[in-house]
Amino acid sequence: MHAQSQKNSQSFILMDKIKQYYQSYAYQLSVISRFFAAIVGGYVFTSVFTALLSLILPLKKSDAVLLSISLTIFVYSCVFIWVFAVKSLKTIWITILLTSSACGLSIALLKGWL
Amino acid sequence: MKESFFRSMTWMHTWVGLLVCWLLYLIFFAGTISFFRDEVTLWNQPALHNAQAPQERISLQRQQIIAGVDYLKTAAPESNRWGIYLPQERESQLIYAYEKPRPEGKRFGGWQEHYINPKTGESLQQPRETKGGNFFYRLHFDLHYIDVRTARWIVCFASLFMLVALISGVVIHKRIFKDMFSFRKNKGSRSWLDSHNVSSVLALPFHIMITYTGLITLIFMLFPYPAMTAYEDGIRGLFNDVTPTNVRTKSSDEPAPLTAVESVLDQVYTNWPNADLTQFAIKDPNKASATITVRASTGTHVRDQTPTLLFNGVDGSLIAKSVDEFSSTEVFYDSLTALHTGRLANPLLRWLYFLCGVAGCVMIATGCIMWAKRIRERMKKDQRPSFGLKLVEGLNLATLMGLPLATSVFFLANRLLPINMIERADKEILAFFVTWLAVALFALFKRAKQQWILLAWVNSIACISIPIVNALTTNGNIISYLLNGQWALFSFDLVCLISAVLFIVQVKKLRTHRQASVSNVRPSRVAKNKLREQSA
Repeated sequence: MHAQSQKNSQSFILMDKIKQYYQSYAYQLSVISRFFAAIVGGYVFTSVFTALLSLILPLKKSDAVLLSISLTIFVYSCVFIWVFAVKSLKTIWITILLTSSACGLSIALLKGWL
Repeated sequence: MKESFFRSMTWMHTWVGLLVCWLLYLIFFAGTISFFRDEVTLWNQPALHNAQAPQERISLQRQQIIAGVDYLKTAAPESNRWGIYLPQERESQLIYAYEKPRPEGKRFGGWQEHYINPKTGESLQQPRETKGGNFFYRLHFDLHYIDVRTARWIVCFASLFMLVALISGVVIHKRIFKDMFSFRKNKGSRSWLDSHNVSSVLALPFHIMITYTGLITLIFMLFPYPAMTAYEDGIRGLFNDVTPTNVRTKSSDEPAPLTAVESVLDQVYTNWPNADLTQFAIKDPNKASATITVRASTGTHVRDQTPTLLFNGVDGSLIAKSVDEFSSTEVFYDSLTALHTGRLANPLLRWLYFLCGVAGCVMIATGCIMWAKRIRERMKKDQRPSFGLKLVEGLNLATLMGLPLATSVFFLANRLLPINMIERADKEILAFFVTWLAVALFALFKRAKQQWILLAWVNSIACISIPIVNALTTNGNIISYLLNGQWALFSFDLVCLISAVLFIVQVKKLRTHRQASVSNVRPSRVAKNKLREQSA
């Protein structure tokens, strides 16, 4: 029993250390994850969103693609700025993942992959 | 992110801008020069200086093509590709070119060019080997020494940051109209902020347009997904759909006589009466798979896709023709690219493009300087500068002063290197990068105001020496250009002289500022900065 508590306290110390470490770098980490969300998350969302757009726009095939391609950068920069404007990182990730998968799902349904 | 939308945008503007500002400076600098790509290339080839396009340029084209095919038939009957490049307003020489024999395992052997004076029809002296304006054009989006695809991804990444910084810059700018007219001189980082604002706001539509459309030019690499979802074979499918002349033919070795050029030209001129042709290219001449591509200039239309006709090279029949009438979406997409490249610009508009590009360079440069200045001002007397600050200051000096100097050296090398040197074009580029590296190493050791003054002097001397060396090593000089109306060359020399003057002005500014700077920092300002730092 004594040994177990020692083991416990050791893991506590380890947890504490990680926590301390995390807290001292919390700001840097949150900045990095935000940039990650903006760059990668924004890229993923833009890709699926404009891909879906190219399928559903009521235009000739080539026109639909060209229009959605022209709009990609606009969408991407809007998402990028939105990521930095919203306070909670959790909200950002949930929104991006939900909307992206919704778009992806619709593409899959439209193309008959499912 | 921060407490308010405004604050988080300010924070983002600073960091997004600072992360990529040096790369952006390079991209803007090279891009600004590229607006005058043809003129810069011409300056770099003194042998072509006296070839001027004749008055009746367009009506001579038919004859020039026929003469060109005759020349190529005797000069290179075995070659895989022939090309005839007709004189244009900005490139006045006529070029007959053929592909050199392909080395083992390569897909292209490089062009052998033969230059003709369009006025007399006589051969011109072969110009010195140089990349000229094309070097800056490539540097603008391919960088150098690294893989082209990687480079383009890096450039795209930086451009995206630029666009985001521009938008957030507008958001955080509360007094956008008032700041257009405010400039507070000799006030430390305040003045830098003001010049940052003025250069950004005055040319803001241009900045947003050029960044957005720049990303559009590389969009098929950045976002191929819409095309990939809509078409079975992805981007190729889209291109085949949009450009009907994008027909691939298999090469065959079977010999077959080339069709009569006259009959092809008759068809060209019935399709396009009064066309201003730019290019007449023949693939696989004297073979069964021969095709002839004829391109015409888009002139001053906001259109990027060149009008093209594709003929069968054996029986002379028309295979495909580019679309004359675009749909509204195609017009929208195509005009974005056309706006970026600025091929449509007449001389006045081209200069406006150039000036806006310069404003962009100023905006980026003042942005990087301002960050370092602010941190310096907030520092306490005995505080040592952090590594980050030193890094930023070093990169500022190396990039802002090194790039113009490297450019001057590039042009000097063009005139001073022996004309028949092996791989001459690469040596010029090497001179460019060696100079830049030297400045960077210099900045590694010292980057105080003294070094800025020194490099500004070196830069102004280098700029002055370009027209002087040009006058000494070629037949023309800035005065003869003015008298003969060779405006491209005259403007080139003039811009060098103007930049030299600007660098001297900079030296003067730096000197006076050094004396005034001690008394300039008001105590209230310092206190305010401290407060801001704590709340940040």
